[in-house]
Amino acid sequence: MSKKLISLADCCVAFDGELVLDHINLYFNDSEFLTLLGPSGCGKTTTLRIIGGFLTPTSGEVLFDGVRINDIPPNLRQVNTVFQRYALFPHLNVFENVAFGLRVPKTETVNGRKRKVKVPEEEIRQRVLEMLEVVSLKGFENRRITELSGGQQQRVAIARALVNRPKVLLLDEPLGALDLRLRKDMQSELKRIQQQLGITFIYVTHDQEEALAMSDTIVVMDQGRIQQIGTPEDIYNEPKNAFVADFIGESNILDGIMHEDYVVEFFNRKFKCLDKGFAPMEPVDVVIRPEDVDIVPPEKGQLRGTVTSVTFKGVHYDTIVDFKGFKWLIQTTDYHPEGETIGIILNPDDIHIMHKSEYSGMFGDYSSYSEEYDELEDVSLLEEDGEGGDEE
Amino acid sequence: MKKTNRGGSRFLIGLMFLFLYLPILLLIIFSFNAGDSSAVWRGFSLHWYSQLFQNRLIMESLYITLLVSLLATVISTAAGTFAAIGLYSLSRRKRDALLVVNNIPMMNADIVTGVSLCLFFVAFFQGWGSFARWMNGIQSVVELPTRLTLGFGTLLLAHIAFNIPYVILNVAPRLRQMDKNLVDAAQDLGCTWMQAFWRVILPEIKPGIVSGALIAFTMSVDDFVISYFTAGSSTSTLAMTIYGMTKRRITPEINAVSTLLFLTVLLLLVIVNVREARQERRSASMEPRKLTWMEKLSVRTSTPKWRWVKRGAGAAMACCFVAAVIFLTGATSSRPVVNVCSLGEYIDTDLITQFEEQTGIRVNYQTVESNESLYSLLKSGGADYDVVVTSDYMIAKFIEEDMLEPLDYKNIPNFELIDERFKNLHYDPEDQYTVPYTWGTLGIIYNTSMVDEEITSWSALYDDKYAGNVLLINNSRDALGEALLYLGYSVNTTDEAEIRQAFELIADANRRGVFQGKVSDEVFQKMEGGNAAIATYYAGDYLTMAENNEDLAFVVPDEGSNWFVDAMCVLKDAPHKTEAEMWINFIASTDANLANMDYIWYASPNREALEKYPAYYEELYGEELDQETYEIMAAPPEVLERCEVYENLPGEIQKLYSQLWVELGTG
Repeated sequence: MSKKLISLADCCVAFDGELVLDHINLYFNDSEFLTLLGPSGCGKTTTLRIIGGFLTPTSGEVLFDGVRINDIPPNLRQVNTVFQRYALFPHLNVFENVAFGLRVPKTETVNGRKRKVKVPEEEIRQRVLEMLEVVSLKGFENRRITELSGGQQQRVAIARALVNRPKVLLLDEPLGALDLRLRKDMQSELKRIQQQLGITFIYVTHDQEEALAMSDTIVVMDQGRIQQIGTPEDIYNEPKNAFVADFIGESNILDGIMHEDYVVEFFNRKFKCLDKGFAPMEPVDVVIRPEDVDIVPPEKGQLRGTVTSVTFKGVHYDTIVDFKGFKWLIQTTDYHPEGETIGIILNPDDIHIMHKSEYSGMFGDYSSYSEEYDELEDVSLLEEDGEGGDEE
Repeated sequence: MKKTNRGGSRFLIGLMFLFLYLPILLLIIFSFNAGDSSAVWRGFSLHWYSQLFQNRLIMESLYITLLVSLLATVISTAAGTFAAIGLYSLSRRKRDALLVVNNIPMMNADIVTGVSLCLFFVAFFQGWGSFARWMNGIQSVVELPTRLTLGFGTLLLAHIAFNIPYVILNVAPRLRQMDKNLVDAAQDLGCTWMQAFWRVILPEIKPGIVSGALIAFTMSVDDFVISYFTAGSSTSTLAMTIYGMTKRRITPEINAVSTLLFLTVLLLLVIVNVREARQERRSASMEPRKLTWMEKLSVRTSTPKWRWVKRGAGAAMACCFVAAVIFLTGATSSRPVVNVCSLGEYIDTDLITQFEEQTGIRVNYQTVESNESLYSLLKSGGADYDVVVTSDYMIAKFIEEDMLEPLDYKNIPNFELIDERFKNLHYDPEDQYTVPYTWGTLGIIYNTSMVDEEITSWSALYDDKYAGNVLLINNSRDALGEALLYLGYSVNTTDEAEIRQAFELIADANRRGVFQGKVSDEVFQKMEGGNAAIATYYAGDYLTMAENNEDLAFVVPDEGSNWFVDAMCVLKDAPHKTEAEMWINFIASTDANLANMDYIWYASPNREALEKYPAYYEELYGEELDQETYEIMAAPPEVLERCEVYENLPGEIQKLYSQLWVELGTG
């Protein structure tokens, strides 16, 4: 792509001796839509706050256009933020909220002399109205903030940040408080605005679907470390380790042994695959996406198992199948009732091989799978995030 | 069943409110009383309100109160707001701990706060004194004051100190409600921290700040106890002045000023509560609401041109405030001053104004409730008076303890006008320290509609005939003195057996239920209202009571009584001795004595004034002064012959007196 706009070089952040960011090296290109994706506490918001200037890294450098900005306060950075839960100013109306950044007098050095510079009133009017049009809030200028819906508040927050013409817009879980329908609308809206204005968006979320749908680049983080950087397709199709495989989409992750290039063994059976470059007989993690598995009559399958549960999901069925005690999730459009014995076939391009990592063995078994469990986890993620923000 | 219950609880609630508000209602009603009694209604009048605004003491203390309250409110609001913001940048555990610490001073008894602040200031002044002497010793560039005393400065500091917790308490909830990201957002949009404070934090927490300031102001205006301990001797707030005035008697003037104070505090509290209620309603309903006229005005005036006008007006107001403060404090500090302390409201305050106009010297006139409290005040070192007015036996005590400065009588030519009878008296045998101020007698006051006979003996005080209708004077010296006289002893006896015998007389009468109670200033209401038949008090005060109840009579019993002189003297090392002597000379003049005599009804020691008073009275009121009245005020020689003065008793006898007085109980 184009040039590097912001770089984080070897950044570490420690709170009370605990490492929150662990040697992060990352750069952001001009005009890209980049998403920091990871579970709560992974360091994504911390990374964003470093870029915004609200947090100084314990060690390492932050570079903007090649210039070190570690000690530049947030008000002097060409970066604006859309905060979690918007942080709109309740005492101002929509117009004044958006105009806020333009009304702050800036100190500029002209010919060695410091001078306060103000944006002329007419220009403020023009820019605010223009920006309200961009976020489709024309005619709402005189509304009070408390009279707006969540989605409208969200738009005000975006307009308020963008009216300052930042080079980079930081978005901290901006859609977290919206309902599903509105969230989908806002996703495409955000993508449209980013493309229309052509500036860099750095987007923080724990929602992998959101990340896949909007991003040019996804940075998957966990435990203060970057797990993988890549395009949505790369991340989904070629996860680097079990964590990424599990966090992005659903995965069945098995222990395997790489016999030689293109041959992997699991369930005591050799399979053809498309991966190479592993040491002979190297233990590996094998990822199989639930939608890639083809179900066939038992006698025709490479493996045979018993269906233990079926859940209707609309487009497909989530079918849990027991293979010698290891439970797989298989997504199929055909209905196979509980108790049925089925066979499966795996094609070489359905099998992804990963090096063993610290995450091996932690994910990939669906023996405790339940829908409720997943949803509960989502809620708790959201709440913990709020708490984390409070403490800083 | 239910219905009667509800009726009962309503009745109880009604009773409770009656109990709470009836006294205040009475106070308000009596502030409009045309007469000067707190017990007898003489018709409606605004007289006491107009009087109020001419009363120097009240107006001066009102000014002090307003100045202290305003300054303390402004400073504590600013300090408290920033403190609250600081608290909210701490971790939750530390913040909660500090908020608890913040609450303690509010729960703490005022008296503890007051005493501890007083101790702290005094300790600091001592330390400062040594430091200043040391500094003055090693350098001569700046002369540091070595003697600091309690005064306006310490009063202000104390008020700021006790106001800050209230401000924090009001601001903290607004900060808790505020989205923490707002500050980040403002900084993100280009604000420095200070800009973020003005543009975002302040508007967000403004309601809290305003209620905090209102509460702080209310607390300041309202405070008595803490002020009492920190204001020192030469500064007095309104509450302190009212307290000082009640020590002599509760005049409708006090009712009037209390009414105004009550209404002010009530108004402030109503404002605070209405604001809170309105905010709650607003936050409860997210619906759009109508703009208040204030907001409409602020919308209309938010154009750039108007903004300058607003800013200009704000700046002008701030300048005026600062200028007023400087002018007023400057005016008070640059002029020569004399600090006078007297017993109760014991002067015609017009005299103070006259003296100030004549000499340009500012008179700082303070009052104290009794001779004994003056003594302890001086001993505690918290006072910096120049002139004190006190009674004969107390002067003897002062002289004995070397607390007085010899006067330079060359500067007090009016001393010559003092009648020979009041010169070279026992307490100051060579006239070195004192100039007499007033004199009078102690006697029996009785209500002729309740007592059939003419009383001529102290025996009436102990007579079962009047059981439940006799008021015992709440002052051991007077009460025991009366009993001693009745028994035929001297009031100055040092014979323990005689004193015990006198005490037994009182104690016995007390057991028999003769006394209605021990009273000091309630004697005015009780006697004027006809609630008691017999009391003992001073002649001058009887004349005041008699104006409100014509049935009252006064007698100096045949066994004799006490006659007393109150005199002016200058305290040792008084900082304004010259001014003090000018003041004494002024007050000793015939004109001043006439005015004072007319105002307080106590006899003057000035020969000319005593002679001229009947003529003065006639000229002033257009009617002749009743000879009997005049003789009660200024007892004729044959009455004075029967009377004794109080001498300063030896230490062990004083102890016996107070011990016996405690034994008698509160009756």
